[in-house]
Amino acid sequence: MRAFYLILCSIVAANLIAAQAPRASDGKPDLTGVWQPASTIRGSWEEANAGDGLGGTGKNPSAPVALGSTNRPAGGAPYQPWAAKKVLEFYNHRAIDDPTARCLPPGIPRLTSFGLFPVQFVQTPKQVIILYEYMNLFRVIPMNAKHPDDADPNYLGDSVGHWEGDTLVVDVTSFNDKTWLLGTGTFHSDALHVTERFTRVDRDRMNYDVVMEDPKVFTKPWEYHSTMMLREGTRVREYVCAEDNEDPARYEKLQKDGVKFERP
Amino acid sequence: MRNRSVNACLLCGALLLAAIPALAHHSFGAEFDADKPLTITGVVTKIEWINPHSHFYLDVKDDKGNVANWRLDGYPPVVLSRTGWKREATLKPGDRITVFGWQARDGTNWAHGRQVTFQDGKKLYFGPPSGTGDGGAKPAVDSPQ
Repeated sequence: MRAFYLILCSIVAANLIAAQAPRASDGKPDLTGVWQPASTIRGSWEEANAGDGLGGTGKNPSAPVALGSTNRPAGGAPYQPWAAKKVLEFYNHRAIDDPTARCLPPGIPRLTSFGLFPVQFVQTPKQVIILYEYMNLFRVIPMNAKHPDDADPNYLGDSVGHWEGDTLVVDVTSFNDKTWLLGTGTFHSDALHVTERFTRVDRDRMNYDVVMEDPKVFTKPWEYHSTMMLREGTRVREYVCAEDNEDPARYEKLQKDGVKFERP
Repeated sequence: MRNRSVNACLLCGALLLAAIPALAHHSFGAEFDADKPLTITGVVTKIEWINPHSHFYLDVKDDKGNVANWRLDGYPPVVLSRTGWKREATLKPGDRITVFGWQARDGTNWAHGRQVTFQDGKKLYFGPPSGTGDGGAKPAVDSPQ
């Protein structure tokens, strides 16, 4: 009987240990691994994305994809009235102006909101590197560093990281104004400041909490809360968007031929 | 019982997965019309696993026996590989398949391919649902006053 309890305790302990977020050699949570953004499902990529297929329920395959409770709310982005009109115009043009249709990088946090493509974290005590399969982009995030004085404005901004307890906080500045933040038309200015918080709450799950501040276009900070799930066995692979990108030419032709594509 | 709960989990998972925001890359809604769903059956003539959108061509015969060659667009190769497709094996020229998708707004023999049904009844997704690339169900902002 005693042996039985010992075995039982061992099994329970093993499960508890397996469920906890691993620690790096410096004692910090170790975020190393391949993750699927915008998911809450445990398991391998194949297990988590089986059934009705990636990108939608498939029950009604023509239905627009709904936004889940863990993701950005539909509507309510705190744009100033003039800027909200512009967002709506992009929406009514059915995202034909999407920078990614020209294979340009999506913005932050948009880059970490696509569930179709895995993201790999490589963590060392001095830097965290994030490798994105989508557009084959990467970010090198030095820890406890200052933003350079002469940082050029760019698509993914300039990132520096630090730990607040068990949360990796990444401060991002020096953006250009050429990306969308989340949904269609969610433009921003070069005054954008993004704060990302990555918290590996257990072995399989990482919370991704973001605050976007841009006094030139927002009335108040815009928050985005999502989760990423560990996908063991998945590799980040090559995605060369420009290989055969026909979309800009198609859009030009659509407009030249007078094809009605705008929302009513 | 265990299998049943696993299946239930997968179903929940699939429903939760509906949370994925807009399709990475192009605008579905500008090029294709969600109000023009179509299901076509034909013989595969060519497959191109290519970025950012793989595509294949299908010879489709109408009631009068006229053959038209259709083009179907879908996921990039990395996503196809993770969705159950194997290059050179899953789909080959000469295969007879049925595709569900949505036609292009320009009215040509071009469509967005969502689901492929193979001769043995197996089904695989070749592309995302129409809504994912259409800019979302609602705009990110409430209507400006």
